[in-house]
Amino acid sequence: MRPLTEEESKAVFTKLANYIGKNLVHLIDRPDEPYCFRLQKDRVYYVSESSMRLGISVARPNLVSLGTCFGKFSKSGKFKLHITALDYLAQYAKFKVWIKPNGEMPFLYGNHIVKAHLGRITEDTPEHQGVVVFSMSDIPLGFGVTARSTVDTRKLDPTAIIVFHQADVGEYLRDEETLF
Amino acid sequence: MDVTSILDAQKAKQQNVTVEKETPLEIDAGHLMVSDLNPIDEESYNENLEEHLRALARDGTQALLAALFSLPTSKSADGPLAQLPPRTYQLPRQKALPKPKPPTKWERFAAAKGISHVKRDKKEWDEERQEWVNRWGKDGKNRRVEEQWLTEVKRNADPDHNPQLAARHERKERIAKNEKQHLANLARASGSSASGPSSRKAELEKSIATTRASTASMGKFDRKLDGEKKLRGVKRKFDPAERSVVDEQKSALKLIGSMDSDARKMRKAPRENEEGSVNARKAIRFASKGKGAASMAGGETRGKSSFAKGKKGGRR
Repeated sequence: MRPLTEEESKAVFTKLANYIGKNLVHLIDRPDEPYCFRLQKDRVYYVSESSMRLGISVARPNLVSLGTCFGKFSKSGKFKLHITALDYLAQYAKFKVWIKPNGEMPFLYGNHIVKAHLGRITEDTPEHQGVVVFSMSDIPLGFGVTARSTVDTRKLDPTAIIVFHQADVGEYLRDEETLF
Repeated sequence: MDVTSILDAQKAKQQNVTVEKETPLEIDAGHLMVSDLNPIDEESYNENLEEHLRALARDGTQALLAALFSLPTSKSADGPLAQLPPRTYQLPRQKALPKPKPPTKWERFAAAKGISHVKRDKKEWDEERQEWVNRWGKDGKNRRVEEQWLTEVKRNADPDHNPQLAARHERKERIAKNEKQHLANLARASGSSASGPSSRKAELEKSIATTRASTASMGKFDRKLDGEKKLRGVKRKFDPAERSVVDEQKSALKLIGSMDSDARKMRKAPRENEEGSVNARKAIRFASKGKGAASMAGGETRGKSSFAKGKKGGRR
């Protein structure tokens, strides 16, 4: 377990900022307890200081997980967000997409969101913007990247993809062994 | 009635307006400065220092004011103004003397060899035109060959040989060489070790390391030479895990701040028009279903109108 280097922090922050924008500051500067990012193997964990200090005393091979896993670094140094980060993303999300009940299952099986399943979308969402996907009852289901801006979606046919799938809560079952 | 005591008291109150000293005071009216070169009177100095200093200052000021009132005056809206004479006292220089320029490589060589070098004039006498012309630069004489209407060519010259062009290339090469030498001189003067022996050594070590790992076995089964050291990579350094979290927060916030400013610098605002911004390239791709603008020339498709729109938006 070690703190992130500057490049690693940059990669993590840019990825997070794509979803939560300026609210990223609230993740780092928390009123309740100091939190920090830690790298263990190739995973990035978001940990409170107290549990981080406890975790220091665990040897690296024995430490399985701590705090909340935010994602992992690929071998080429890119950072990929995991569904486990959804709680924080949903809390601070800048742009949101709500999907109709008939679209929930297709999304949870890892498919992109088509226009027919789109219930609501934040106004002025630009193209290629990270969005958090909610069900109509405001339960976060995952996150993705918009294929079109809000304005453009109006002209599209119902089968056109609106949001590219990035992660969904179905991964808790599908990728259980590699997720945490 | 005896008034001498009253007069004496009055006199004591009003001191003399003319200051008389053993060595007369030096007055520099231009600087509004008076210097008193008399030796210090030890008795009054020891007796009452404040009084002594005040008396000295009074005398100096009196002398200066007397000198000012004797200067020629000019009239102005605010009353008469004294015309100050030119300054006589030499004030010391405010800034340090400029450092001598570090000698160039040629200058050092010339000094070592005892070569006395006279800098050439920029102008040169042109016999044909009967006037002074520049050696180089505007209408420079170094372009003489290039500008000649007729040039002698050797018998065995290449048929494609262009003497004007060759002369131009030669001149440009000289300029490039001079520029390179100038930069090297600057680098040497600034004392940077960019081209020094230490960087050369590092370069050599780097290339040796590369060649050692460039065999089929990545250098594993190569014959070792005597005294050859084991190759070592760069050791990565990380912050300690138990560093203060507050510190970490600070650096993270700083990083976020710098990322914000970078993004602001790099991102261009999309150009707006009435229907929202249109990305012409993307509009073409979308309307032609990925076949490009050429395929749209003849075809009457639904996308045609959107293409035209996109084009218009792009030009605006």
